[in-house]
Amino acid sequence: MRVIDIEKLTRDYGSGKGIFDVSFQVNEGEVFGFLGPNGAGKTTTIRHLMGFIKAKSGRCTIRGMDCWQERCKIQEHLGYIPGEISFFDDMTGTEYLKFLAGYRRLKTANRMAEMMDRFELDPKSKIKKMSKGTKQKLGIVAAFMHDPEILILDEPTTGLDPLMQSRFVELLAEEKSKGKTILLSSHIFEEVERTCSRVGIIRQGKIVTLDSVEALRKRHVRAYQVTLESEALARSFAADFGGSCQGRTVTVAARQSLEDIFMHYYGGGDHDERDPV
Amino acid sequence: MNGTLYKREMKGSVKLLLIFGAVITLYVTIITTMYEPEMMATLDSFYEVMPEMMAAVGMKAGATSLIGFMISYLYGFILLVFPMVFCILRGNGLIGRYVDRGSMAALVAAPVRRSTIACTQMSVLVSGIVLLAGYTTALEYAVAESSFPGELPLDQLLTVNTGLLCLHLFLGGICFLASCLFSDAKYSVGFGAGIPALMYVLQMLANSGGKAENAKYFTAFTLFDANGLAAGETAALGGAFALLAGAVVLYAVGITVFCRKDLHI
Ligand SMILES: Nc1ncnc2c1ncn2[C@@H]1O[C@H](COP(=O)(O)OP(=O)(O)OP(=O)(O)O)[C@@H](O)[C@H]1O
Ligand SMILES: [Mg+2]
Repeated sequence: MRVIDIEKLTRDYGSGKGIFDVSFQVNEGEVFGFLGPNGAGKTTTIRHLMGFIKAKSGRCTIRGMDCWQERCKIQEHLGYIPGEISFFDDMTGTEYLKFLAGYRRLKTANRMAEMMDRFELDPKSKIKKMSKGTKQKLGIVAAFMHDPEILILDEPTTGLDPLMQSRFVELLAEEKSKGKTILLSSHIFEEVERTCSRVGIIRQGKIVTLDSVEALRKRHVRAYQVTLESEALARSFAADFGGSCQGRTVTVAARQSLEDIFMHYYGGGDHDERDPV
Repeated sequence: MNGTLYKREMKGSVKLLLIFGAVITLYVTIITTMYEPEMMATLDSFYEVMPEMMAAVGMKAGATSLIGFMISYLYGFILLVFPMVFCILRGNGLIGRYVDRGSMAALVAAPVRRSTIACTQMSVLVSGIVLLAGYTTALEYAVAESSFPGELPLDQLLTVNTGLLCLHLFLGGICFLASCLFSDAKYSVGFGAGIPALMYVLQMLANSGGKAENAKYFTAFTLFDANGLAAGETAALGGAFALLAGAVVLYAVGITVFCRKDLHI
């Protein structure tokens, strides 16, 4: 079932900036990686999903509800980490979380304590004086504390140390196993590789590739055929390099790392889906 | 209305309310207790010497009753400007600053309607204005009663201050609308502070008489006629009502604009 559905979403900021004809879907229980270079349009797309900006053309829905018109209802089951976190600086972390719980009218004991333990967050100091990573952790706790079913995460691990980044990846894996639907925008390939089943890559406002990680891998397998002098030699070559052997001909495949594959789309390279610049 | 947000924002108003409350207390007490026939003569002699100066800040010669005296020396500058500055600071802080800094994201990324957010913030501004006006009224009456028992007719004071409240609700409406309209602090502060300040300057110009009197057609302060209100004149009551109606329109437009605008946060 489609949870997030974006169809031909366009927002032209002029001089080639913005997003153009962006379409993709995120299905129930799926972790979708949303990648792309700086200024590609990830945050702009996410702002549409959050109901912050109205679609100029095209449409986007979450669970069939229009992201602009029914934004209030959508938010009930949504967790969001903004790309640039900005809190009420005058509050302490504890006050902020308490404020949010009251503001959202959360009734039941939520996951606040669990999330704070997990990320070793000490929320007692003033937000103004918190380090970047601590603010980010506060943003994570705020996004997860009401145990939302849909998560929209815009570069959620910026500023986190490697240990915390890996805890975050674990958290995403757990959420996925609980059937949550996650849209993850990220610049960290490893994070995407470890969590996402499908990825979309956006460049200069246009989706340049949209596929499952597996299919992407397959598409980028480079195979070489080598013919050797004897069948015996071919058999041992195949065994050594993990290829398949047919007579004197051996086929070996070089798997590109996901990072290389992503870089290929980022830089534009010479693949045929390249945008005219 | 969102109670949690209202509480937080009212806490944010407390400091400003205390400061302006203290300033108003100081001036109201000092000036009201200055009401003395001999003192009046002194102030009148100031007026003789520099009539334009005194008229510019709304002071007129020959106020004989206590309320006339108070209108001359309190309702020309102190009770106009200090609540106005409160409106400017709070009006900008409630919406515009959050949008500019991006912390509005926390408020809109929750199952709370934008109209609820805007209404709550408006209530905070209006509460502050009402509190200041209510406090001023109580203070004026208390000071007058303790120094000159029976000299200040309560009904006149209430009429004048209701008019003053309408004026400040209107000015607050301008600040609130600017705050909702512009996403950039440069403009939300620029218009929110600039328009009321400009109106006050025009009012000063108009008061100084001569050709400049035409400036009164360009400022909302003209609609607040304290002497007329004290005398119960229909035109003055109409002016106050116009201010109130204008305020309602400004807040309504502000809320609508906020609900419909794109937030690049
Ligand atoms: N309010 C705006 N007005 C004009 N242009 C804008 C506005 N917001 C974004 N843009 C432009 O739209 C493009 C896409 O920006 P966006 O923030 O979506 O990029 P991004 O993919 O999130 O990048 P990053 O990885 O750096 O976060 C950029 O070129 C940006 O300059
Ligand atoms: Mg971004």
